[in-house]
Amino acid sequence: MKKYDSVVIGGGVLGAFVLRSLRRYDISCILLEASGDIAGGITRANTAIVYTASDNRPGSLKAEMAKRANENFHELCNDLGVRFSRCGSLMVSFGEKGDEVLRKKLIQGEENGVRGMKIISGSEAKMLQPLLSENVTTALYSPMTGTVNPWELTIAAFENAVQNGAQAKMNAKVIDIIPTDEGYEVKTENDVFFAKTVFNCAGLEADKIHSLVSNDGIRLSIDGADFIVFDKYAPKPDMIIFHETENGKGITAVPTVEGNLIVDSPPREADNSFDTTSEGLDYIIENLNKVLPELDTKRIIRSFGALRPNPHKPDGRSIHSFCIENPSPGFYSLIGIKTPGLTCADEIGKYLAGFAVEYLSAKINEDFDPVRKTGDHIGGEIICLCENITKGEIISAIKRGAKDIHGIKRRTGALMGKCQGSRCSIKIKKILEEYNETL
Amino acid sequence: MKHYDVLVIGGGIAGISAAKALDGLKVLLVEKSDRLGGILNQCLHRGFGKDMTGPEYISGILSDFPENINVALKTAVTDITPQKTATLRHENSTEEISFSELILATGCMERPTGHMLIAGSRPEGVYTAGQVQEMINIHGIIPPSPAVILGSGDIGLIVAKHLFENNVEVTIVEIKDQLGGLARNRMWLEGYDVKIMINTTVKKILGEESINGVVLTDGTHIPAKTLIAATGLIPDREILKYKNYPFEIHICGNCKEVFPMVEGVARDAERAANAAIENIRRNNDR
Repeated sequence: MKKYDSVVIGGGVLGAFVLRSLRRYDISCILLEASGDIAGGITRANTAIVYTASDNRPGSLKAEMAKRANENFHELCNDLGVRFSRCGSLMVSFGEKGDEVLRKKLIQGEENGVRGMKIISGSEAKMLQPLLSENVTTALYSPMTGTVNPWELTIAAFENAVQNGAQAKMNAKVIDIIPTDEGYEVKTENDVFFAKTVFNCAGLEADKIHSLVSNDGIRLSIDGADFIVFDKYAPKPDMIIFHETENGKGITAVPTVEGNLIVDSPPREADNSFDTTSEGLDYIIENLNKVLPELDTKRIIRSFGALRPNPHKPDGRSIHSFCIENPSPGFYSLIGIKTPGLTCADEIGKYLAGFAVEYLSAKINEDFDPVRKTGDHIGGEIICLCENITKGEIISAIKRGAKDIHGIKRRTGALMGKCQGSRCSIKIKKILEEYNETL
Repeated sequence: MKHYDVLVIGGGIAGISAAKALDGLKVLLVEKSDRLGGILNQCLHRGFGKDMTGPEYISGILSDFPENINVALKTAVTDITPQKTATLRHENSTEEISFSELILATGCMERPTGHMLIAGSRPEGVYTAGQVQEMINIHGIIPPSPAVILGSGDIGLIVAKHLFENNVEVTIVEIKDQLGGLARNRMWLEGYDVKIMINTTVKKILGEESINGVVLTDGTHIPAKTLIAATGLIPDREILKYKNYPFEIHICGNCKEVFPMVEGVARDAERAANAAIENIRRNNDR
């Protein structure tokens, strides 16, 4: 049986950052991912927003972490070699109820120490973002809001963790966890891993993993959202637009680091699948017409669905804070870490590593290097014509762990252009096949 | 910095035809893939020139390709500046060049399936018509039966024929009240057992890992192991982004407008080449 100080379950953004944070200390650790690749679960579909703390209750862990994370985000992305755009945001409203929500957010944000926020009029908002509707009544400007690509961030954190000595195993679905006197036996179909501490970052499965060691009855309910994507060349707002309707959250439009615009629907019911719904997609188009009426819908290239796990107490009550549980000594569960989970991933990682350090009496890892080393790109024929990705870059992505075209997409940006892979996906599949045959 | 009289971007039929018409000038023809010919390389149906396949047509047109034309394969133009310079990327290196005239011959692309905002899952087995053509003609892979083809333009009809001849059960779904495409591509359908559904479209995709069916707007459920979107071609001029250039750019072929016939592309490219020659002559006279 392989022995570790820590096992991290789940290769999403949280698992990757917990793993990396553990390696800041002299803690031997392995990440177990059920599927063949990291960043393929709920991490892959996300609004990609780096929030300020204006949405969080003053004094809460979320507010504290979000503020610190937001301020440090540039440095984090710099270390990891990940694109980050502090594009700022405008929350726009269309009537008195919405205006009131904005004023409350301003007060809350200021109380949380968010810098630079101010309320502006609808016409001032239109001057800032000419594509906005004339019917905006009030806007909340927030210069600290930003955007990052969630899977790029996850892969970078994971690679940096591995460069710092962390281990990882793919296709390692955890099927049982047996507590012992010294720790836990974590069983997968083919292996057993012994660990003194376990970090459950299993996303949609986090409640099931948690229930292997706990009877507290915390469970997840899953809701979803729909997204549409505009191509890079569409005229678009250059700030994030949050749409506050008279009855709550509307759409959110995010100009991504790649140069696209993604627009999401409010949360809706979901049946645990990433399917999109006609209702959600129709809602987005209808509301884009109200908020950003001049956007050219001919430039839509994609839609996708997202899932969000929400934690509940056994009696059904929602848990609003970050649900970080410690059901037995050395076992930590992250259950339904939703917004601002992406923003706070590094903070949450450090927070959990802090528990491990105390529990294991671990020392600082003097050799830890927070800077991710990225390989040199290699050339060759240009395979992805939209993004000019070469065969060499694709092969390097396979060597870095990509198992299929989705993994290639997340590591190179191929398939993300205007043709959405119609000109290169067959070629990329061939390259994958050829590479695997040489193994 | 190297200077060229004419920079031609794109090595398909338009770029090749333009470059040939520029013989005598210092020309650079840039192509991203490892060969000239563009999309015709994957068109094996006899729809070009005198009953030729795409590759046959290309070898014909390349047989008298002037040797003094510089061809840069595996090379991308990543930027064009208002000062008439361009950045080329080849392997790991980049190079700046300058040019007097610019001919854009970057062709067109298929409208992505995602444009249609079809609800449901995103399983394996959803392709564009061009992808299916590439699978069959280049790689010899026949997508599994039954197949639903969304859109009945020329490309949809050509792919339908390909599939039918390879024993794939085909249903064509067309949102308009009649089939599109050239008459010669429609004709073969008579007498063939291809199901056609007009005035409707695909509303939802079903299946987890792989597609197993589609739902139409009226709620009809059609079993499908392959869904092929053939919903149109769009000119690819993205390299120009939304910049305003203070000089004339000779846009030709399918990146200007989508031509139904290859001869139209070649003629348009020659027109662009002549316009470039005319500009150079005028500037020399000045």
